[in-house]
Amino acid sequence: MKEELNRIKRRQGIALFLTIILVFCMLGAVVASVFQKISREMSTAAIQNLSETLDLIKCTIEAILENEAEFQIMLAQEAARAEDMEAYILAFEKNQTMVKLSLIRSGETEGVSSTGERFTEEGLDFTSGRAVGGLPVSRSYVNYMGTWAYSMKCPVIQDGQEAAMLYAEYVYDSLDRSLPSGFYDKKAMLYIMDAASERFVLKPKGMGERSAGHLNLSDFYRANNIQEGSLREEVAACLAAGADFLFYHDIRGKTSLNYMWAVNGGTIYLVGYVPVEAIQQEGRTVNHNLFIVVTVMLVAFFLCCLLYWFSQRQQNRIRREQESERELHNKQLAEALQAAQIASNSKTTFLSNMSHDIRTPMNAVLGFTSLLAMDAENPVKVREYTKKIMASGQHLLSLINDVLDVSKIESGKVVLALEPFTLNDLVSSVDAIIQPMAKAKQQAFHIEVTGIRHEYLMGDETRINQILINLLSNAIKYTPEGGSIWFRIIGLKQRSSQYERIRIEVEDNGYGMTPAYLETIFDAFTRAENSTTNKVQGTGLGMAITKSIVELMGGTIEVSSEVDKGSLFRVELELRVPEGQVDKPFWEKSGIVRILAVDSDEEICNNLQTLTKAVGIQVDMAASMETAIQLIEGGREYQVALLDWDDMGADQAAKRLREALPGPIPILFLADYDMEGMDDALQLDNTGILTKPFFVSAFRGKLQEMWGEASAELPEGSSLEGLHLLAAEDNEINAEILAELLEIEGITCDIVENGQLALERFEASAEGEFDAILMDVQMPVMNGYDATRAIRALARSDAQSIPIIAMTANAFAEDEKAALDAGMNAHVAKPLHIEQLKKAIQQYRNRKE
Amino acid sequence: MRKRIAAACLAALAVLAMASCGAVNEDPGKNLIRQEEETERVVNFFSPMEKTDPDTENVARSASDLTVAMAEKRLGVSVAYRTYTAEDYQDRTYDEVALDRVRSNMDDMYLLNPDIILKLGAEGALMDLSGLACAENLREVVKTANVVDGKLVAIPQEVVAYGLFINKDMFDQYQLSLPETPEEFLECCRVFQENGIETPVGANRWWLETFVFAQAYADLYNGGNTQAEIDALNSGESKYSDYMRPGFTFLQELIDCGYIDAEKAAVSEAIEGEGADFLTQKTPIVMAYWGAANTETAYGNTDFEMQVIGFPSSRGQMPVVPMTGFAVGAGAEHAEDALLALDVMLSDEALQLYAETNRVISPSKNVEVECVPALKPLNDRIQEDVYVLGSNAGMKVEQWGNTCLIVRQLLEGATVEDCMAEFDRLQAESLQ
Repeated sequence: MKEELNRIKRRQGIALFLTIILVFCMLGAVVASVFQKISREMSTAAIQNLSETLDLIKCTIEAILENEAEFQIMLAQEAARAEDMEAYILAFEKNQTMVKLSLIRSGETEGVSSTGERFTEEGLDFTSGRAVGGLPVSRSYVNYMGTWAYSMKCPVIQDGQEAAMLYAEYVYDSLDRSLPSGFYDKKAMLYIMDAASERFVLKPKGMGERSAGHLNLSDFYRANNIQEGSLREEVAACLAAGADFLFYHDIRGKTSLNYMWAVNGGTIYLVGYVPVEAIQQEGRTVNHNLFIVVTVMLVAFFLCCLLYWFSQRQQNRIRREQESERELHNKQLAEALQAAQIASNSKTTFLSNMSHDIRTPMNAVLGFTSLLAMDAENPVKVREYTKKIMASGQHLLSLINDVLDVSKIESGKVVLALEPFTLNDLVSSVDAIIQPMAKAKQQAFHIEVTGIRHEYLMGDETRINQILINLLSNAIKYTPEGGSIWFRIIGLKQRSSQYERIRIEVEDNGYGMTPAYLETIFDAFTRAENSTTNKVQGTGLGMAITKSIVELMGGTIEVSSEVDKGSLFRVELELRVPEGQVDKPFWEKSGIVRILAVDSDEEICNNLQTLTKAVGIQVDMAASMETAIQLIEGGREYQVALLDWDDMGADQAAKRLREALPGPIPILFLADYDMEGMDDALQLDNTGILTKPFFVSAFRGKLQEMWGEASAELPEGSSLEGLHLLAAEDNEINAEILAELLEIEGITCDIVENGQLALERFEASAEGEFDAILMDVQMPVMNGYDATRAIRALARSDAQSIPIIAMTANAFAEDEKAALDAGMNAHVAKPLHIEQLKKAIQQYRNRKE
Repeated sequence: MRKRIAAACLAALAVLAMASCGAVNEDPGKNLIRQEEETERVVNFFSPMEKTDPDTENVARSASDLTVAMAEKRLGVSVAYRTYTAEDYQDRTYDEVALDRVRSNMDDMYLLNPDIILKLGAEGALMDLSGLACAENLREVVKTANVVDGKLVAIPQEVVAYGLFINKDMFDQYQLSLPETPEEFLECCRVFQENGIETPVGANRWWLETFVFAQAYADLYNGGNTQAEIDALNSGESKYSDYMRPGFTFLQELIDCGYIDAEKAAVSEAIEGEGADFLTQKTPIVMAYWGAANTETAYGNTDFEMQVIGFPSSRGQMPVVPMTGFAVGAGAEHAEDALLALDVMLSDEALQLYAETNRVISPSKNVEVECVPALKPLNDRIQEDVYVLGSNAGMKVEQWGNTCLIVRQLLEGATVEDCMAEFDRLQAESLQ
């Protein structure tokens, strides 16, 4: 298609080119014809011009000759009247024109001359028969002055009789004075030729090129290379006839007009040549200028063409750019449209999924509630139903939490709560949640921690937990029964000593994902399978939330997966190391400086060394029991021994170690979660289990436990019985549930409908009447924040100290912050969890006490 | 930016176009003819004009032209050439016409042959040039040849030496050595004739006299007693005929043996008559002047090896040196400018230019140039001061013109004795 277009373009280009050539040919032909026409006209004009000039010269000479003849006749008449004609002649003095006057009386052959010499007609040839004014003219000759001359004779009439003949000699030099000193800008050459002898009797004095002075006509021919016989014959015929002749011939390489111009009926001739360029000077100038004009126009035309071409090229370029830009825009629009459609489809699907996902537990809640109503008398069934209702409610809550999380993240409202935490706690809690789930699906769950330098870190533990739970629960979800899941925490090379770089890897050998799905896995409202057709349940928001949280923490998340081979998620985070070592005082106090680790796994050993180094404990590694015994026997003192518990002979090894080490030295078995068969070993003195992976904080906890140190934790289920609370709750059902729950705990409660009433009630109460206030936030008349501020502003001693606990469906961190800012002491999210509430009340009650 | 430049260009073009349209705006009240002042200074110069071949430059003429142009440029004068050339032997000769023109004061400056110089000098028709600055540079021999009645009446641009132009290839072909004496010359001619070359010597009506001069005055000019011998001739103690006889006898023998075609020679112009045969190698020997060896219109470009030697004499090969020269008419209209022009044309600078262009011997003692190889034998003799003068103003009987005319008589059938009688008559006239 493109080639076809190119071919058409090329053909059009050739056609255009040919047309231009044709136009130029036509233009050239027109210009050439104009030039030719001008040249022809110029040639005609040149001939005309030269003819006129020569005619003028001819007329001048003829007039001179006529005058000479008339003057001679006059002299003859005077001589006739003279008494002595000879004396008259002798008295004549020559002038510039007439240089000699002679007289021969009739019947005599000799006469006198004005020069004083005897004169005869010998040497004068009047045979040509030519005459001027009726007087015969002789042939030209070189006279006594050494110059060319001619004579005319005139009869002297006395008494009607011819008494004598008067001869007058004239020199051609006199004509020279009457001729133009040089015509056609002195480029024309002019000779006067005696026609009878063909001798040149008057020549140019200053020769133009000073290289040729011509003797006679044949010399003129020879010198100017006029050799054409026919031409010369034609000229001869003209000379004989006394006619004019004009012809073109090159003279010394220049085209010239040669002329033979008859004077006095052909007695003498004007002979010479004029270079055509001298005559056609104006014409040549015109042609030259015409040529310049044509050239300038051509140049201008080509310049225009060039400009047009440049302009076209630029426009084409701009058009192409615009087209490509438009194409890009269209593509982007199409992509955006597609994305919007996908998003729309996703949301539709999501809503459909949500509808299904919400209806399912809701159906269970309602269904079991109906059953509960029917079987209210049967406590076993009631418990079973309420358990299931609880489970469905929990699921419903998690769905709602996820949706809220996504909307929060999308609107940028998530705030991280950075607090110190230990990796040990993180791993333990994850392990505690995931391990049972994996077990339920007969999946192997492996935890590996390597290269970690600091296990105390700053970060939002809850959110990190959320990330891990998301990834791991997905891994379990999308891995078939009997599969494996690996959870790795890898310490990366630090960029700064202030920060610990960790990589979290979650790998499974499950279903895997298609490349197409991998592209959208982190988009909201997508799920590998539609929940309506798959038993796997979820909001499809988990990965989007995970990615958003990771990015919020300044980390990265990436995934690689192959269908039916499994998936690998890789999260990299950089977490700050808190200042000061939390454990250091404990370890200094404990007196533990060296421990013995018996483990064949080199990686675990390295990890152990890295972690303990930070708290100043030296670890001696023994790859086998024998080595360990040798070390102990070598006299090294160890405060603690660690033994890697594997199935093969661990029991025996523990016994040997116990025997080798002094009794008070604790021996801890590093074992996987729920490792069995350790009962015998644990019977030994001073032994305990330390769950893998090893963490210093866990190690410390275990030691403390073994050494019998008291736990700081609050005893579970401590009683709040006898407390009297004030609660502000506008929702009747919620108020009722609250009243019921508190009553179960033995707590009495006054419930009011809004903040105003709560304020009034508190104002009206006696000091110490209420142990705490439970404050809903969103209420009519006065909201919880305002009510709290008002209570705190009251002028009574317990106004400042009474614990006010926010109890709201606004469960976000910023809600909690707003509550605290308003003067509340704690924040408990709805739906109400009685344990949390109890914990909060207990905490503030204790403080108060 | 581009648009601005284009707009500027268009504006400039428009301005130009408008300016050019408005340029033709003549003042209607103005006299359109420029008045030229007639202040041109002219020197009329009469000189012979050689007939020319088609579209060729005449070198000799060009060399002279260069010096004329130099004068024109220096002085701001215009030198106008006036020429005359005899069409044939029946015409009046250049010398005759020159004589008439000088006498009639027709021109200002003339190029004259030695006999005419002598004649006009004696008549007092030529101006004394000894006052010109250029006269101081002249060689003595040149001065000697041109001083008449104590006046330097003419100065040449070159010392014209005549010699024999030899076809060396033909001499070599017949194993002939170049002739030194008249006898050797005759022998060479005999050999050539025997080998089918009917007329070995090409001649014209002007230059056969050179044979005569060589034999007549070889001893006079090279014997060491020149002035005494000339004095004897001027006083009548010696006879010109005695000097001239051997040469005429020699010429007679050449004619009698058919080595020269007398009839043809009598009507032939210089080079025109014999040149073609010499160039086509039909004739091995011609006589001509120095410059002919340099001039393409003469013998400047031959197909054979040419050499120029002196004429045969008892003293070996003898160059003959007549003196042509520039002269100014006593009654010249523009005498002052003519003298100034001549001073420039004959200055060392001009003569150097002339001599370099034509490769000739300069009359100035300050100018030396190398000659063409063909002229070397002739030049060697002149450098050795071995030559005879073709003209001498010191001799009362004019030599160059008279001898020429008497040789013509010989060609036309007069005997040697008739010719000698003519010399005697001329000498007798001079003694009166």
